[in-house]
Amino acid sequence: MLELDKVSVTFNAGTNNEVRALNEVSLSVEEGDFVTVIGSNGAGKSTLFGAIAGAVTADSGQIRLDGHTITHWPEYKRSQVIGRVFQDPRLGTCPGLTIRENLSLAAVHGRRLSLRRDVKKDQEQWFRDELEHGHLGLEERLDTDVALLSGGQRQSITLVMATLIKPKLLLLDEHTAALDPNAAEQIISLTRNMADRHEMSTVMITHSMQQACDLGNRVIMMHQGEIVFEISGKERYMLTPADLIDRFHSLENAELSDAQMLGQTGTFSQQDLVALTPTSSRNR
Amino acid sequence: MTSRASTERRGSESITSRHGFLLRGLLLVVVVGVVMSLGNVNIGAIGQGLGYALAGVCVFLTYRILGFVDLTVDGAFPIGGAVCAILIVNGASPEVALLVAFVFGALAGLATALVDIIFKIEGLLASIIVITGAYTVTLRIMGGRSNIPLLGQETLISRHSRPFRAWLVEQFGDSMKRQSTNLLEIMLFGGIVIVVLAILYWFMRSEVGLAVRATGKNAQMVRATGINHYLMVALGLMVANGMAGLSGSLVVQQFGFADVSLGFGLIIRGLAAVIIGEVLLRPKSTGQLLIAAVAGMLVFDISRAWIFSALDLPTTDIQLVSALVVLAALGTPRLYDRYKAYRQRFVNTR
Repeated sequence: MLELDKVSVTFNAGTNNEVRALNEVSLSVEEGDFVTVIGSNGAGKSTLFGAIAGAVTADSGQIRLDGHTITHWPEYKRSQVIGRVFQDPRLGTCPGLTIRENLSLAAVHGRRLSLRRDVKKDQEQWFRDELEHGHLGLEERLDTDVALLSGGQRQSITLVMATLIKPKLLLLDEHTAALDPNAAEQIISLTRNMADRHEMSTVMITHSMQQACDLGNRVIMMHQGEIVFEISGKERYMLTPADLIDRFHSLENAELSDAQMLGQTGTFSQQDLVALTPTSSRNR
Repeated sequence: MTSRASTERRGSESITSRHGFLLRGLLLVVVVGVVMSLGNVNIGAIGQGLGYALAGVCVFLTYRILGFVDLTVDGAFPIGGAVCAILIVNGASPEVALLVAFVFGALAGLATALVDIIFKIEGLLASIIVITGAYTVTLRIMGGRSNIPLLGQETLISRHSRPFRAWLVEQFGDSMKRQSTNLLEIMLFGGIVIVVLAILYWFMRSEVGLAVRATGKNAQMVRATGINHYLMVALGLMVANGMAGLSGSLVVQQFGFADVSLGFGLIIRGLAAVIIGEVLLRPKSTGQLLIAAVAGMLVFDISRAWIFSALDLPTTDIQLVSALVVLAALGTPRLYDRYKAYRQRFVNTR
């Protein structure tokens, strides 16, 4: 399905600020897999997504999706087969357009744009059915401007848009990190619903150990641009957040400088790790 | 829950917004009519506004829809005019001249888009580069001359002016004779503007148009939907500047000459039209926004003509008057906001 073969990404190559964000990462995601990705800030999770989605170009290595080598495909072309939900709720939907118009655009996915009318009557029931899974009542507000909606509502629409035409792969980049706990809970249950219903391969970055254990069938942890461990199969079903934190700690002990890498001093409390950093406050 | 309540209120507003828009439009027509008759403004101002209206639409499309700071209109407009003049002088029909002017305007837009996309030069700079080069292109099209008169040539206006005048005199008597060209311009250009707006509206409400509109608001989302957003930017700039070329060819046929400096300061004029239209009509939907841009251009031209007739100024003062009208259009909403903020503070401290 998705295969990364020794993919490397270096930022600011040749300058003092050179950062090796991905270091020969190899990863294989099978059809129907739901992989959660955890790791500290700067571990390379978002770069990994960028490399898969085409926002970042890989220096070396190969990326294959569904039999095609997509390493050099432009971002928009990859998006025809990859659905994405971003951390920032504002990125996934278009303000100034109604919910209906946003969904209409998503319904074009992978097809050529035509000069037919933008919103089509026969799509209304389809949109309503899809929006209903979010349990936010958005199906009754198809003609509301997206700019007037809350982050949770927009994220729910983005999720529907990303899966409206079933993608080969769904990438979720900490898509609940900028939401309040209630909204996050709703989005997570919608995510689970989507993944179960469509049985599509999904990769989800998260900062929440709880989410990493609750969702999916595989967990991978990234650190300093590499995948340091993966938990899958039987072990994965027994996994608790506490186990993950232990693994995290063992990593800390292995490399003393890690506390600095994590932007923390001293040891971690459990609380720190469960929430890690509130990503909405990170500079972007 | 408060957010839901407020959006529902907005929702009910949107049902009545169409009536509000119509009402404001009617009110505007009445006010402008009164000002024109009391201020003794010649109706030629309306015809002129209609000639420039599509240039206003061009600025609206780039500035508001694409969110692209684009000055190309200053170059696309005279190119359209030059192409139109040279075609008419060489015996082409005015309709063909209009279409070719649209194509040349669109090519100017494409040039800006390519500079922006290939060299990653931002829109403002890209369009300045293009209009600088476009000046020479315009001169070349005009065969090295800076001015081409259309005296005695068949244009949209001259073709119909004689039969129209005869018809007018027959119907309403000799008193209408003096206004016959102005009336003809209003009817012809009004018709053309309405047809072009209808086509543009159809385009904006198509799937392609939806993608263009979304590109201006959130290019990342458009990319994530699997659409090449560069293509949409290029398409948007081409359609917009095609409008400017079309407008240039209308104005050239109206003035009866093409001039290389015809596009001077047009961007500001278009910007003023967009702001005036938005402030006066508060448009919401795509169709309303298009109408507002045209109405803004009409109000601009009429108010400028009114100032001229009220102050009895010589026509050479036109640029300063234009600048002041633009300043008033852009500045008044901001001053009003500051006044509101000031009043708010005053009330709070008391």
